[in-house]
Amino acid sequence: MSGDFFIGWAATPPRALRGVLLGAGLAVGLGLPAAGLLLGATAQDPAPPGYATVPGRPGLPDLPSEEALRGVILDGPSPLLQLPGGRTLILADDGKYGPTLDRDALRGRMVAAEGFVLRRGSIEMLVLRQPPTPLDDVATVPPPEPLGRWRITGEICDGKCAGGAMQPGIGIGHRACATLCLDGGIPAVFVATAPVAGHAFLVLGDATGGPALPAMRDLIGRRVTLEGAVLRQGNTLVFHAAMP
Amino acid sequence: MSARQVPVAWSPAKWAYDAVLLAGVFGYLLAFMQLGPLLQDPARPYDGASLAIAAHGSCAFLLLTLALAIGPLARLDARFLPLLYNRRHLGVVTFLVALTHAMEVLGWHFAYSATPPLVAMLSTEPALGAAPGLPFVPLGVLALLILFALAATSHDFWLEFLTPPVWKALHLAIYPAYALVVAHVAFGSLQSAANPALALLVTGCAALLVVLHLAAAFRPAPAEAAPHAEAPWVLAGPADAIAEGRAVIVQPPGGEKVAIFRHQGRLSAVTNLCAHQNGPLGEGRVVDGCITCPWHGFQYRLEDGCAPPPYTEKLATYRLRLQEGQVLLDPRPNPPGTRVEPLVLP
Ligand code: FES
Repeated sequence: MSGDFFIGWAATPPRALRGVLLGAGLAVGLGLPAAGLLLGATAQDPAPPGYATVPGRPGLPDLPSEEALRGVILDGPSPLLQLPGGRTLILADDGKYGPTLDRDALRGRMVAAEGFVLRRGSIEMLVLRQPPTPLDDVATVPPPEPLGRWRITGEICDGKCAGGAMQPGIGIGHRACATLCLDGGIPAVFVATAPVAGHAFLVLGDATGGPALPAMRDLIGRRVTLEGAVLRQGNTLVFHAAMP
Repeated sequence: MSARQVPVAWSPAKWAYDAVLLAGVFGYLLAFMQLGPLLQDPARPYDGASLAIAAHGSCAFLLLTLALAIGPLARLDARFLPLLYNRRHLGVVTFLVALTHAMEVLGWHFAYSATPPLVAMLSTEPALGAAPGLPFVPLGVLALLILFALAATSHDFWLEFLTPPVWKALHLAIYPAYALVVAHVAFGSLQSAANPALALLVTGCAALLVVLHLAAAFRPAPAEAAPHAEAPWVLAGPADAIAEGRAVIVQPPGGEKVAIFRHQGRLSAVTNLCAHQNGPLGEGRVVDGCITCPWHGFQYRLEDGCAPPPYTEKLATYRLRLQEGQVLLDPRPNPPGTRVEPLVLP
């Protein structure tokens, strides 16, 4: 056979080419795993440590935990559950579904709600196992406290993935997923780049206080500046933002 | 004469090629998904499904880069030619890894919803112009469809069915597919990447491919053969310049390139384009008395350009003459398979 000439159907490559082929084999057989290790080791959630927390104030522990809670259903762009003492949770069902509850019947009522609690930073979501059941107890709902008009920079996220259901759960790479969540009724949250009245995130609605979507669908996942009225409900802020 | 050529059979070299390729791919995925997390910043962890999405996506990108680098590498240095043989297996593996990436995205980002996953995949990004940048999901879908078309037609059946020029033109779609993949990453995960590793990888790979292709494109082409006083003959250079068992490639003015081979003191001329995939025959050798293509080893007889039986491929042949040690070529091709008595050198 002919020195260094490789013929594809030959059983073995010519001796003169074995060095090059060994090099290429090692580059693929060892180089690819090395590249995988490098990229796997440097893969980082775009959410930095301390995401959705106010500097100096530790976030909530981030393990999902089963909880049976009692509280008042507050209305807004999406319903909230406010517990006695002011702890306020955003609500959703399992999967990419908003909470199943009769908003008109439960607005301002005391309910029992069960599910698991997702937490990241100061975002806290109760993923309902079943619709909350109304209780006879009388609820005292403090009225929302207006905090004036604000111009805030941040990212529109779905409360569930930003709340830790997915990591990464924010950013453009996750935008389509977040949009599907928000289309399904998961509450929209606005994670601010700097704290707003002592809060790292706000429940987001449109200028009239209705759901943020569909109006803000094209703004999801990237840094935007929105302007509108901010209200305090329980220990959560609600942002009635206008389209920029 | 040889009938050893068995282009679609499995040879030990082919097994070794595939074994190394699969070891590299599985090694990459294992290192990315199992070992990488052990070294990750624990404050910024990835969940398992997202890690698998990133691992398969980046693996497919690297394999695609590799597939595209082999062509120019082999043109620049013939020692890389063995990597070209069997490149189709690399292409099919690339498609399967990219498909796994897509299935993982469908099962994570586009699942758990009332909207069917495929509908969700195509309806959840802002329309073109509605947000800065491009919607990156459709870019990836388009690239995957191209990879599918290429993988599905990678078998020799399709090569024969479509004819080599059409098949080759179709498979050039690998370049737009690569551009789509780069855009898919650039307008997608790069936008929210927390560290520069991915950006460095993508720009490094794309730059490497551009440099390799430019270097291969600017290799000196064979000079155009000068016309002889007696038309249509052209001057193909001194007979001595052709080494035994090898060829010179001649570019007649306005015609196709011709390969002139020397074997046992006789010269024969055939088209430079292999009947298989238009490989450069003139860069091949005479092996077992047959012209042997450097790309996949198809063989042709010197005297009539026909593949030895049972194969049926045929090359166009050309007439040669000798005048004072200079080879003269008639640049008008004979119908493929036409017998031309080899030119006996004194
Ligand atoms: S053998 Fe495949 S191109 Fe020649």
